[in-house]
Amino acid sequence: MNILLCCAAGMSTSLLVTKMEKAAEEQGVEGKIWAVPANQINLHVDDADVLLLGPQVRFLLPKMKTLGEEKNIPVEAINPVHYGMCDGAEVLKTAINLVNKK
Amino acid sequence: MSKFNSFLEEKVMPVAAKIGGQRHLLALRDGLIATMPFIVIGSIFLIIANFPIPGYADWMTSIFGPSWAVKLSYPVDATFNIMSIIAAFAVAYRLAESYKLDAMSAGTISIAAFLLTTPFSFTFTPADAEGVLVTGAISKAFLSSKGLFVALLFAILSTEIYRWVVKKDIVIKMPAGVPPSVGKSFASLIPGLFVLVTVWVIRLLVEMTPYESINDLVTIVLGDPLKMVGLTLGGTIVAELFVTVLWSTGLHGTNIVKSVMEPIWFGAMGDNMTAYQAGEPLPHIVTQQFWDNFIHIGGTGVTFGLVLSMVLFAKSKQMKNLGRLALGPGIFNINEPLIFGMPIVLNPIMILPFVLTSIVTVIVTFIGMDMGLVAKPVGIAVPWTMPPIISGYLASGGHISGAVMNVVNILISFLIYTPFFKIYDRAKKREEDAMNTGGKEHIA
Repeated sequence: MNILLCCAAGMSTSLLVTKMEKAAEEQGVEGKIWAVPANQINLHVDDADVLLLGPQVRFLLPKMKTLGEEKNIPVEAINPVHYGMCDGAEVLKTAINLVNKK
Repeated sequence: MSKFNSFLEEKVMPVAAKIGGQRHLLALRDGLIATMPFIVIGSIFLIIANFPIPGYADWMTSIFGPSWAVKLSYPVDATFNIMSIIAAFAVAYRLAESYKLDAMSAGTISIAAFLLTTPFSFTFTPADAEGVLVTGAISKAFLSSKGLFVALLFAILSTEIYRWVVKKDIVIKMPAGVPPSVGKSFASLIPGLFVLVTVWVIRLLVEMTPYESINDLVTIVLGDPLKMVGLTLGGTIVAELFVTVLWSTGLHGTNIVKSVMEPIWFGAMGDNMTAYQAGEPLPHIVTQQFWDNFIHIGGTGVTFGLVLSMVLFAKSKQMKNLGRLALGPGIFNINEPLIFGMPIVLNPIMILPFVLTSIVTVIVTFIGMDMGLVAKPVGIAVPWTMPPIISGYLASGGHISGAVMNVVNILISFLIYTPFFKIYDRAKKREEDAMNTGGKEHIA
């Protein structure tokens, strides 16, 4: 499963990525997890099975949801508390649930 | 307090979302971001050319000969001083992309449109002589930050005309056998013609007025007034208020405000750089670096002092952990763990110092620079992730006062945040204790 995260500069989210990768490894979830700035989303969205937005760019959610519908992948904003505490396991769970629900 | 939160959620959020998602503003911001790598590369050469060590210039001359500084300025000219061309392309590219138009055509047309606004001649005045009109050459001033407003304006105008022509379906359709990319290049002919004719007519009209060029007109009518308002202490405080109030709702306030203010801050950065290179007094205090390297230390809200306070004083387990987690990113001015983890978002007790610290540091830094106690940012573009103290030193062109200003702002931040943090931390601690004793004295 490929999980794409997106925030303003892709920086703070990259911190979350390392935690999610660790959680994924522990749970045996295969796939790629990576973070990009919002303006580069078009270059990456085709490789993703699910797109998660950092809470600070959740004003882009409507735009990204349209994109998600085009590409047929779920799009959601990350829970702010999970994001702030860098809770990789919880965010991974959100991503997996979104993909399974589809 | 819940009234305050619902005000933020219901009134501030939707407006912010509108601005943050607005197509043209997004294109402006993303387009300007494209100039950043070049500006940083140019800055490296600028730093080497102006290393603030006594005797450095003589030492360089003894090794590389008297023209070393001029040679070092070549890359500066090809990066900093063409930022308007790059912006003209990149803004049009991003805007066309958002309309799902051919972004490459829109970008290249925009470059032509921008250069069409620009005189290919200028008056050169040698010392002790009459001015001479030099033709067949573009003054680099038009391509540097001085041309930025024109570039941005015409990038949007040209792409909108492009879109209008494509929507009207006034395109040359190729027969089926023609390779698609040939067809595409022809297809861009008609929109390009419409754009360039429009810009040409605008230029002819402007030349009939007392303004000599489109650049003069835009600078006098739009650029200067915007700078006058946006770069004053008042304008700066208002901008920072927006930044922090938006972050208080959890939205990326810096990004949203930047999409409106960045053309002004970028322009100011370029103006200062031009003056710095020429050895003239710096015209502006507030530039891009004023924010990135002097105010947003540890992240928006000057949270570096808060992180220190957390590491030193946290009693609750939650805040202890968060302090450790936030220290690393904080050194590089990233503070999302604090904003969302503490959280500062929708948390009135932390929003208060968050906004207050920002405003106080803006005022202190501005006045410090205005009085000449602290060196102004010289236009060297230091990335916003550069750790504080080093960043202030570099952004001020290697002045110790720049580093000292960073330290002062960290102190201010520490002093304002600490009492608020202690109150919040105590509440958290009580919460944790209550949980441990079975929730008997649970405090929400």
